[in-house]
Amino acid sequence: MEQILTVLIADDNPSDRILLKAILSQFGHKVVSAVDGQDAIDKFDPHTIQLVCLDIKMPYKDGWEAAFEIQRIAGDVFVPIIFLSGVSDPIALSNCLRIGGTDFISKPYSPALITAKLNAIVRLLVMQKTLEEQRDAMRTYNEQLLNDQDIAKVVYENITHSNCLEDPALSTFHYGTHTFNGDVILAAYKPNGGMHLLLGDFTGHGLSAAIGALPLADIFFDWTKKGFLMRQIIPEINARLKRVLPANMFCSAVFIDIKVNNKSIEIWNGGLPDVLFFSKNTKQPVRFTSKNLPLGVLSPDAFESQIEAVSFSPGDRLMAFSDGVYEALDVSGQMFCHSVLTPLYHGHVDADRSVDWLIEQLEKEGVLKNPHDDISCLSVRLDASIGIDSLEGGYLQAHHEAPADFSFEYVLNADSLRNTDPLPYVLQILTTVPGLSSFSSQIFMILSELYSNALEHGVLQLNSEKKSSSDGFSEYYEERESRLAKLTNGYVKISVKVTSDHHCRSLVLYVEDSGSGFDFKSVNFDISNTELLYNRGLALLDQLCSKLEFTKGGRAVTAYYDWQVGLDS
Amino acid sequence: MVESFFDKTTRCLTIKVNGRFDYSCHKMFKEAFTSVTIATSYDVNLADVSYLDSSALGMLLLLRDHAGGDKAQVRLLYANGAVIDILKIANFHRLFDITE
Repeated sequence: MEQILTVLIADDNPSDRILLKAILSQFGHKVVSAVDGQDAIDKFDPHTIQLVCLDIKMPYKDGWEAAFEIQRIAGDVFVPIIFLSGVSDPIALSNCLRIGGTDFISKPYSPALITAKLNAIVRLLVMQKTLEEQRDAMRTYNEQLLNDQDIAKVVYENITHSNCLEDPALSTFHYGTHTFNGDVILAAYKPNGGMHLLLGDFTGHGLSAAIGALPLADIFFDWTKKGFLMRQIIPEINARLKRVLPANMFCSAVFIDIKVNNKSIEIWNGGLPDVLFFSKNTKQPVRFTSKNLPLGVLSPDAFESQIEAVSFSPGDRLMAFSDGVYEALDVSGQMFCHSVLTPLYHGHVDADRSVDWLIEQLEKEGVLKNPHDDISCLSVRLDASIGIDSLEGGYLQAHHEAPADFSFEYVLNADSLRNTDPLPYVLQILTTVPGLSSFSSQIFMILSELYSNALEHGVLQLNSEKKSSSDGFSEYYEERESRLAKLTNGYVKISVKVTSDHHCRSLVLYVEDSGSGFDFKSVNFDISNTELLYNRGLALLDQLCSKLEFTKGGRAVTAYYDWQVGLDS
Repeated sequence: MVESFFDKTTRCLTIKVNGRFDYSCHKMFKEAFTSVTIATSYDVNLADVSYLDSSALGMLLLLRDHAGGDKAQVRLLYANGAVIDILKIANFHRLFDITE
C-alpha cells in the first residue's frame, strides 16, 4: 500500500505544523502548509491535494468552516479531511465527523498512530479511485449502449413499420418492456386490394427478441408487394427464421389475409392466444385457436400450415393479441385469460371499443405500470374497401415511356397447377413496362381474377354458388384444396400481348382453361348488386378493363387494358 | 430451480423444474442436459412449475434439438392446467410427448 500523497496541513501553531510536516515527510509524503483556515481554502486544489489535515481552532476561519468550503470546492472529487485537535471533548470530536470529516488525530502527535491512520486513508483512497473508475467506465459504456440502441431502433422501426398501420380500419396497441419490443405488428396492402396483417411475438424480450423481426418484416412486405399469397409467404418466413434463429428462439404469430373481392378473411394462428372474430351474426365472438406451431420451429419439409377461412360483412371486427395480454396478472394475481378477458370472450364488450376497453383493463389492473412481457394488440374493422383506396395511388399521370411490344404464352398443366402460383412471375414481366408498373395493382387484380376463375370454375369445376353462405364458403375452399390435390388432368393457358401505337399502349390478357365453359351471356355485371357473393369478380373485371370478351363457350376470356402515354394535358 | 437425475439402467435423464420456468432457469436447465452425454431419453417433470414463458418453450426446443431433433425422445410430464394451456397454444404436443 505504498502511495505518496500530497497533504495540505493547516495549523496556526507553528511548532505543531512543523512537527506533523516532519512526520509525514518522513514517510515520503509531500506537504503543503497553511497558517489558518482561509489560507487552507486558498491553497486547496482538488486536483493536486489528496488529503487535508485541519486544526479545529484557527483564526479567520476555523477548521469546520474551512472543511465546508473545501468540500464545496472538491465537488465530485473525494478528498478525505482529518481534524487535528488538542481538545478531547467528545461533542467537538463527533462534530468533526458529522460535518464530513473522515477521522481526527489528537494532539500531542503519536507517530505510530499517524502512520496507522494514514495507511487506512490510503486504502480508502485506493478503493474510492477504483470505484470512480468503474463508475465512469460503466457510465461511458451505458451511454454508448443507449446510443447504439437508439440508432438500431431507428433502423428497426424503418424496417418493421409500414404506413399501412395508419389505415383507419386498424387499431393497434403496443407496449414494450424494453427500448426494443419482441412483439411486432405488420400490415401491408396487397396489390389486388385487401390487406395482409401479422402480429408476432418473438421468444424473450428486448434487442435479442427484436432482431428476428427484421427478416420477418423483410419477407412480409416484399412478398406481399409482389403478389404472393399468405399460404406462400408463411412457409417462406418459417424457413428463413428456422435458418437464422438459434434453436431456442421462435416467433408465435397470427397471419391474417383480408380478401376484399369475396369479403372473406383467412387466419393462420401459430402459438398466439385465440383470434376473436366479432360478427353481427353471432352473440359471442368466434375464436380461432392456434392450430400451428410457431414460426421458426419446424424445418421446411416438416412444416405444414392450417389456415381457416370465414366470410365477413362490412363492420365485423377481428381482434388478436400477444400472450403478454393473455398471461398478464390482474390485481388479485389471476391471469387475464381466466378473469379479466371473460366478458370479451362472452361478447359483452362492444367490439368497436374492444382495444380501448383492453387498454383500460390493463391500466386498471396495474399491468402497464409493471409489465413482465411485451404487450400488443391488433384490431381491424373489416370492410370491402380495405386497401382499395390505396390502389388509386397508382393513377399517376403517364409520362414519356419507351414503346413496348412483346408477347408470351404460359401454359400450366396439372402438376404445375398444383404446385405453382404463376401470377407473381407474370406480373414481374408485365411490370417491366413502365406504364404497367404504375398500374400494377389493377393488372394484378385482373390477372388474379382471370386465373382463379379459370382454375376454380374451369379446371376444378367448382360451383361458386356454394360461396353464398358462410359455411359453404369454407367448404368451397376445402373442396378447392382437395380437388387441386387430386388433379391429374387439365391446363390453364395465359397469353400476354403488349403493343404500342403512338400514344396508345395496350395489354391483352387471354386466359383459357380446359373446363367446360359457362353461360357467359347470363352474367350480371352490376357491381352494386352486393347480394351476389360469387359473380362480383367478373363485375369488377368489367369495370377495370376496357373490354372483356368471352370465347370458346366461356372457356376462354380476353381482357383488354389500354392506357395512354405522353399526353401532357 | 432445476434439479436433474440420471437413471443409468434406463439411460433416462429426468429434469425437474420448480416454480417459475423462465429465463432465470436458462443456465441451470442447459447445464442439466449437457452434463449427461449418454442419455437416450429425457423426462421433464413440470409438476411443480407454476408458470412457463416463451423462453422456457425455447429451452424445451433446445433440449429437443440436443436430444436429436425429430428423432428426440422427450416427455413433458405432469404439467398443471395453466402450463398445459401454454403448451397447447404453442402446439407443442406435435413435438413432445405430453402427459398430464
